[in-house]
Amino acid sequence: MYEQYASRMYPVCVRYLGREDAKDVLQEGFLTVFDKIGSYKGEGSFEGWMRKIFINASLMQLRKSDVLRRTEDIEQAPETGGTVENGVLEQIGTRELLDQIGSLPAGLRSVFNLFVVEGYSHAEVGKLLGITEQSSRSQLSRARTLLQEKIKKLYNGKQ
Amino acid sequence: MVSNDFDKRLRDRLEGVTETAPDVWEGISKGLERRRRQVIFRRFSVAVAAAAAVVALALLVFRGPRTEGEVTAPVQIAGTEQPVVTPAEIPDEPAPSETPDIAPIQQQIAAFTKKQAVAVAQKPAVTETPVEETPAVEGPAEETPVAETPVVEQPAVEQPAVDAPSLLTEDDLPADYWEEESRPHRTHTSQISILSNLTTVSSDGDLLYIPSAMHASSQSGKGQASSQVEPITATNAPKFYVPLTVGLQVEFPITERFSVGTGLNYSYLVSQYDMLVDKVMYEGAYNQLHYLGIPVTLSYHFVQTPHVGVYASASAAAEKCVSQRYVYGSNTLNEKVGGLQWSAKAGVGVEYWFIPRMGLYFDPSLVYFFDNKQPFSIRTQQPLQANFEIGLRFKI
Repeated sequence: MYEQYASRMYPVCVRYLGREDAKDVLQEGFLTVFDKIGSYKGEGSFEGWMRKIFINASLMQLRKSDVLRRTEDIEQAPETGGTVENGVLEQIGTRELLDQIGSLPAGLRSVFNLFVVEGYSHAEVGKLLGITEQSSRSQLSRARTLLQEKIKKLYNGKQ
Repeated sequence: MVSNDFDKRLRDRLEGVTETAPDVWEGISKGLERRRRQVIFRRFSVAVAAAAAVVALALLVFRGPRTEGEVTAPVQIAGTEQPVVTPAEIPDEPAPSETPDIAPIQQQIAAFTKKQAVAVAQKPAVTETPVEETPAVEGPAEETPVAETPVVEQPAVEQPAVDAPSLLTEDDLPADYWEEESRPHRTHTSQISILSNLTTVSSDGDLLYIPSAMHASSQSGKGQASSQVEPITATNAPKFYVPLTVGLQVEFPITERFSVGTGLNYSYLVSQYDMLVDKVMYEGAYNQLHYLGIPVTLSYHFVQTPHVGVYASASAAAEKCVSQRYVYGSNTLNEKVGGLQWSAKAGVGVEYWFIPRMGLYFDPSLVYFFDNKQPFSIRTQQPLQANFEIGLRFKI
């Protein structure tokens, strides 16, 4: 199981934590999976169930380092900005894309991952992160703008 | 619209993405081994509790039936087997004038045994001695050759039991000594108990995050710093130390088999986990809780012999947290805790009275702690616990 899913769960951890902390959470997440595997009821995909565990472990790690409460980086991020044109995103490698997401401020990164990639609603994101729904919307907007700027910058650097 | 398009394209790019992960299997293996040991310890504790319950039930099921007035203890206590002897082997009884007023209890027991032997021997259906060899059944007792029988033939006769009043009957024996043996059930009396508890703990509670709501009761107190202390752990295994309870209880009979009890218990709980205080992470900080509780117990006594008692009990307890202290680094922080911790307990106990008024008891049970918004502890993480209570009991 470890060999089958480690390569799929590691990118999840990288998205939430960056590469530095992802390794520890990967280990902790698998321990939880092995411990709680009996509670998997067969509802939904097994990989989806595992993914939730790794997301949860990642969020715990963020709470431990208390980075979710730091608002300085979030306030500095622009609320609006230019958009990434068609074709640009496709020119960026997956690994680079993960690193760009992982380099966002922790709060923005968490909201962005939960809303855009995992598909949670703002209400659910707010509940998971302990923020208001409005704050979730605001941070998503900032995260999206900042990420697009990073991608454009990376793309322009390649040209 | 543009945002949605960007989100969709990004989501598609990340869908099912894989990347070679660093090898963390060694760490996972160690972690699994550590958790396996914890599970084994927990199961062992439960097995011990179950075994104790089985032993208690076995004592209940396999105890022999007793009838009113049956006396067995004298023979057992004297350490002699039921004699198959003829009256000819019984030595002469001393004259009443030579007999002290009160013989030692061992002598009384020996004499009583001898008296039983005579009674057995005089019953043809019981004794194997031929009729012609037992003149006692053919003539008056004073005409039997009992007096000529050498004393040395009967070891029991070597004892100074010859001085004991052989005319003792069951009724002559000390009333308080035989009373409990001669009854099918001992009537339990008021008791006072000194107890201590040990509880099984596991440390795999899913402490993801303890929101401030858990400390609502604390904030109703001083309101100081409780919002600063937010227990957080990076792992799923906060460490709990074995809770310790000591106490004093009194118990009163309400019927022949039922009794009620109450008392005062003190419990001490310690948890260790990582803690955030003023945005500073303290690893391995301690949370110490001190509870005072009043239990009310209803017991049903299955077995009541002079030495062994088996009972089932159910109880409810209300406990007040009188002190909560955080110890992090070189700092300490005290908090008030409101509300009560309610719990319910059921179990089977065994008591052994090694002297008439003092005994030991062992009371394995299951206890459930209700969710009463109490501070984080083993009780909130593992509400159902196996509990092992041992103590001393005194009849009052």
